[in-house]
Amino acid sequence: MEHSDNSGTANSGEFLTFTLGAEEYGIDILKVQEIRGYDAVTKIANSPPFIKGVINLRGVIVPIVDLRIKFSLGEPTYDQFTVVIILNIGKRVMGVVVDGVSDVIQLSSDNLHAAPEFGSILNTRYIVGLGTVEDRMIIVVDIEKLMTSSEMSLVEAATA
Amino acid sequence: MSIDMSQFYQVFFDETSEHLASMETLLLNLDVDNPSLEELNAIFRAAHSIKGGSGTFGFTDMTSVTHVLESLLDRLRKEELRVRPDMVDAFLAAGDILRAQLEHHQGGPEADAGEVEAVCARLNQLAAGEEAVATAVADEAAVTAVAPVAAPEARRVLLECDLPANVVNDAGMLANLLEGLAEIAALDIRRRPDAASPRFSAVLTTQKRDAELKEALAFHLSPDEITLADPEQPGAEVSVAAAADDSFGFFDDAPGTPAAEAAADDGFGFFDDAPGLPDTTLDALLAAPQAIPDEDKSGAYGLFEDAAGKLENLPNRDIKPSDSPAAIEGQGYGIFVDAPSGVGLFDGAPGSQHMVQATAPAPLGGNTPPAEGPGRRLADSPAIETAKIGRRDNDKTVTAANSETSIRVSVEKVDQLINLVGELVITQAMLAEAASYLDPAQAEKLLAGIDLLSRNTRDMQESVMSIRMLPMSMVFSRFPRVVRDLAGKLNKQVEMKTIGENTELDKGLIEKISDPMTHLVRNSLDHGIETPEVRVMAGKNPKGTLTLKASHQGGNIVIEVIDDGAGLNRNRILSKARERGLPVNDAMTDHEVWQLIFAPGFSTADVVTDVSGRGVGMDVVKRNIEGMGGRVELESSTGHGTRTVIRLPLTLAILDGMSVGVGGETFIVPITSVIESLQPRLEDIRTMAGDSRMVHIRGEYLPFVSLPEAFNLPGVEDVTKGIVVVVETEDGKAALFVDELLGQHQVVIKNLEENYRKVPGVSGATIMGDGRVALILDVTAVTRMGLANTRRLRAA
Repeated sequence: MEHSDNSGTANSGEFLTFTLGAEEYGIDILKVQEIRGYDAVTKIANSPPFIKGVINLRGVIVPIVDLRIKFSLGEPTYDQFTVVIILNIGKRVMGVVVDGVSDVIQLSSDNLHAAPEFGSILNTRYIVGLGTVEDRMIIVVDIEKLMTSSEMSLVEAATA
Repeated sequence: MSIDMSQFYQVFFDETSEHLASMETLLLNLDVDNPSLEELNAIFRAAHSIKGGSGTFGFTDMTSVTHVLESLLDRLRKEELRVRPDMVDAFLAAGDILRAQLEHHQGGPEADAGEVEAVCARLNQLAAGEEAVATAVADEAAVTAVAPVAAPEARRVLLECDLPANVVNDAGMLANLLEGLAEIAALDIRRRPDAASPRFSAVLTTQKRDAELKEALAFHLSPDEITLADPEQPGAEVSVAAAADDSFGFFDDAPGTPAAEAAADDGFGFFDDAPGLPDTTLDALLAAPQAIPDEDKSGAYGLFEDAAGKLENLPNRDIKPSDSPAAIEGQGYGIFVDAPSGVGLFDGAPGSQHMVQATAPAPLGGNTPPAEGPGRRLADSPAIETAKIGRRDNDKTVTAANSETSIRVSVEKVDQLINLVGELVITQAMLAEAASYLDPAQAEKLLAGIDLLSRNTRDMQESVMSIRMLPMSMVFSRFPRVVRDLAGKLNKQVEMKTIGENTELDKGLIEKISDPMTHLVRNSLDHGIETPEVRVMAGKNPKGTLTLKASHQGGNIVIEVIDDGAGLNRNRILSKARERGLPVNDAMTDHEVWQLIFAPGFSTADVVTDVSGRGVGMDVVKRNIEGMGGRVELESSTGHGTRTVIRLPLTLAILDGMSVGVGGETFIVPITSVIESLQPRLEDIRTMAGDSRMVHIRGEYLPFVSLPEAFNLPGVEDVTKGIVVVVETEDGKAALFVDELLGQHQVVIKNLEENYRKVPGVSGATIMGDGRVALILDVTAVTRMGLANTRRLRAA
């Protein structure tokens, strides 16, 4: 529905792919600040379960979202292999917990196909398209739109 | 020459604001009946610096206002005019105009042109007064350093200087310069500068003093590059000839004056004092003919009285530290410091030995005979009006001195540094914790290193934090003006005192505290201090006193606004409160009654004035101060005055907190809101209406707020195993129930909203020693939330 007006930067270029359960997702690599392990978080009361809490990232308080819980994918286990992707969105820094980071791929707009409309938890408005790389289907997500959306409740409603 | 001046604008804006502020302070402190020359000079310098700066940057509107201002000030400091209170008013008004113009250049609204004109006209009118007296003084002053004959009226002066090449080669500039000179003196040009030699020589017939003549050339030459001599005095010619090739004129005739810069600075001082010299140069010359090259010098110092024997007094006199702001002393008179070497060749001259001796200690202020300042000069010389210190040079020196001792750094850079140091402290704490598991015997060196690291980081944190600290005088300094204006408007007599203005406070707080303080000061003046008649009737001094006081008390800074006015009127407050339907009764303690005036919209004023009385004051004051993590308290005694006490944390960035554990998480309770902590007994917990719990503590029933419930965390079930922390919230006292008390820390406040959003019940976050994040509680919000949660849980 709205994916035709997606920002140009997300349409082609390099994408970081990560797995959530059996699915593979891709996000614009320019939004990624770093990848790190999962540390103890400080819980925030009365927040949705997918918001794990906040961590201290070298003096910056960063909220952590578990996308596995958000999209009900994979088993939310936290061990030394749990990976957090630290994103830089706008002026904000936030982290997302994923099952694993696979690689960095190049996708041109030719390889991207519009996602069909279907009733998933991940609203298609956050999906840039579906990319194909050697038989793998990569769901390319507009992570900025997703993270600042009101349903993530990561930012004040007014700014969402 | 296409330098982009705009890059320096900010510096100009900053400096000009500082000059304006200092000018205002000086004006307010000026004793109108007995103004000190030093203060007038300082005011003049401030105005002059603004004029210079605005001229350089092409802000001609400011230049023209300062010019008018300066002219009047100039006459005041030359004592050609007496200072009058209306002048001070005019100066203050001019300062306001300049500030408005400055703001305009910074993108603010334009200054009111009509006002500008009115102020200029007023200043001109003031400056024009007593013209005749001024001329007389100028005449009296018309004696030069080397001129042996005092010209009664217009005098003739031989002016010699080497013009800079750019002037010599530019016919237009040269013509301009000559025109400028011709305006102040009749010119008889002896030698025009040409490509071969830049020397310019002319005999001027003028009433102006040397310093003024030099000022006319100040655009092109520094004062010491200009020699002024009497055309009929052969000695002068000799010195001029000798000086022909050096830039410092005859100063350099004295070999061994290596202090070129110092000497340069002093150029003015020398000449300015000189006019007062009686015509005794000839005597001096006769007395010490072999010292002719030095005679210029000794002339400068030695001619006040009759003979070279008097020399020993004069260096001291010239040093007059009291005449110049402290910062300048050392530099402005640097020549004297170096003088011993320069003066050394005086050996042959009588009295020179004294001079050397007297000169050396004088700058140190040690052996200087007392009262060598203005007072003494008054007695000595009939022409003291003209005696002053070379301001132009002093100005330069001030700037130079400042730029050497301080630098301007953007606040962001400082904050970044503070953040980094905060990180370092956390890292250090982590290291220390990790090292605590090591065997001290084996890891002795490592542990010692970590100890050292912790000490160094602590010191470093302290000094970095101190960068942001500013003295309270930054806030206090704006009040003399406020008080003066308000007192005038309200027809009250108020004396303002400040105590502890050197107490330092974080820059962020300094910026935020001035608005609430202004409110309190206005309140004190309007409602507190009575009119002189009422005061006299009450047996008090007709002049009220308003005291602003700042001090450190523990980790807090305490700011007090104290007036000796009528005090708060308990009955009136109570009746007003009843009118407004506030829950009050006559049994309330004074303290509780005083708290009422912090209620929104509360005002006891019968008449709403434009000063205060609309009731939008104290609640804002309270809210602002609480927003800064501080508290306001009021003490008042009817008929004797009111004291408002503001307690603030030293800095916004650091908070004294008590850490408590709730369900495995750590929370920080700001220590300012903690009253006490205790372990409740089961029988202390009562219920009300079956659900809301209360804690009975020494006769008080406080709402019981369970933090585990408020935050949906698992916590201890048994209330007797936990701890209640009694806190002061906006809604009154409350008892927060927590699992355990962990300790007390100073924590660095971090913003949660930066990357996340506002969390209910939490005012911020901090990073603990172990690197984990702890949330800082907003006790008021958490109490409300906890009570609501409890209700919901109980209802379910």
